[in-house]
Amino acid sequence: MQVELSQKSKSFLENLRVYLFSSGKKSDEIEEIIEELESHLIEAEQHGKPIEKIIGKSPKAYMEMVSNEMAIDFRTWFQYIVIIIFGAFSFSIFQDILAGTLSYSILEIIGHIAITGIFTFLIFLVFKYISSNDFSNMIQVVILSLIGLVPVGLFFGLHFLNKSVETPIIEFGQTGSLTIAAITLLLIIGISLWAKTGILIAIVTLLTLPEYLLGKTTLIQETQLILSTIISFGGIGLYLFISSILTKDR
Amino acid sequence: MSTTQMLKGILNGCILAIIKNKEVYGYELAEKLESYGFQSFSEGTIYPLLMRMQKEELVTSTLKKSTAGPRRKYYSLTPKGEIELKKFKKQWDYLQTNVNRVLTNEVEKHS
Repeated sequence: MQVELSQKSKSFLENLRVYLFSSGKKSDEIEEIIEELESHLIEAEQHGKPIEKIIGKSPKAYMEMVSNEMAIDFRTWFQYIVIIIFGAFSFSIFQDILAGTLSYSILEIIGHIAITGIFTFLIFLVFKYISSNDFSNMIQVVILSLIGLVPVGLFFGLHFLNKSVETPIIEFGQTGSLTIAAITLLLIIGISLWAKTGILIAIVTLLTLPEYLLGKTTLIQETQLILSTIISFGGIGLYLFISSILTKDR
Repeated sequence: MSTTQMLKGILNGCILAIIKNKEVYGYELAEKLESYGFQSFSEGTIYPLLMRMQKEELVTSTLKKSTAGPRRKYYSLTPKGEIELKKFKKQWDYLQTNVNRVLTNEVEKHS
């Protein structure tokens, strides 16, 4: 017989999972403590105990207590950061190379690295913050959207700064561009094998290829734009959906 | 119950004693502690303590299927845990005797 847990307990466990994940803990260990607490909460609820009797008055304090006893999994942490940073880079590199040869100003290169770093840091910080506070879904979506706007704003700023401030420009030329593209490709494949995930390849392909291929057709600009957006995001959605089903089956 | 260092140590000792007697899972352990009078503590407190004990190899755990709901994690004492329990017992006896002696002589004499 499968017993249903109350909504409050369920959302506590979900928050705990996100909290521990964004604190960089090992996912095996996270699943272990979640399962143990789930079983405890089920039994406690059957005996009519409120969740406060289990985790105390402050869910945040309890999450911290659990988190303190778990070792940080630097390898996985590092893995995610590398995937995010290289994902962002390879995406812009491929997009630029399909449009022609590569040339970046020093400011652009440094700016890209800095923005990606800031964004990665913010994401982990915000996940931890959201999961340990009791926000409504609405507020969570607002906070996450605001964070999503940060890199957009920063890239926008960088774009204008790059126009008004002169820094040396590095021209890569035909051979240089192809070499960089090849290295990026190898890195993407390498990272995917190392992290055992196809997500980077899928997202980079879906973001760059449709736009490029549609550019070769005789369709008008607007149709191209709309189609490539639909294919890109629809494709990514489909990829995530399929892979989540496959993970569940395992 | 506030979990100051001393209380944590005492709770640790009690957990070891309960586990020594019988292999238990988390909920069972919390119920046992309550039945002995530790009423006001948050039951979840035992898990961080158990995690620490497991890291220090005082206890081991095995997952077992249960009739209802998810699997249960049963804890049992290791030889190292037995030694730790003996140490705790000794410390507790020593503390208890001395504190009692202080209290009878100093408080009761003057009241």
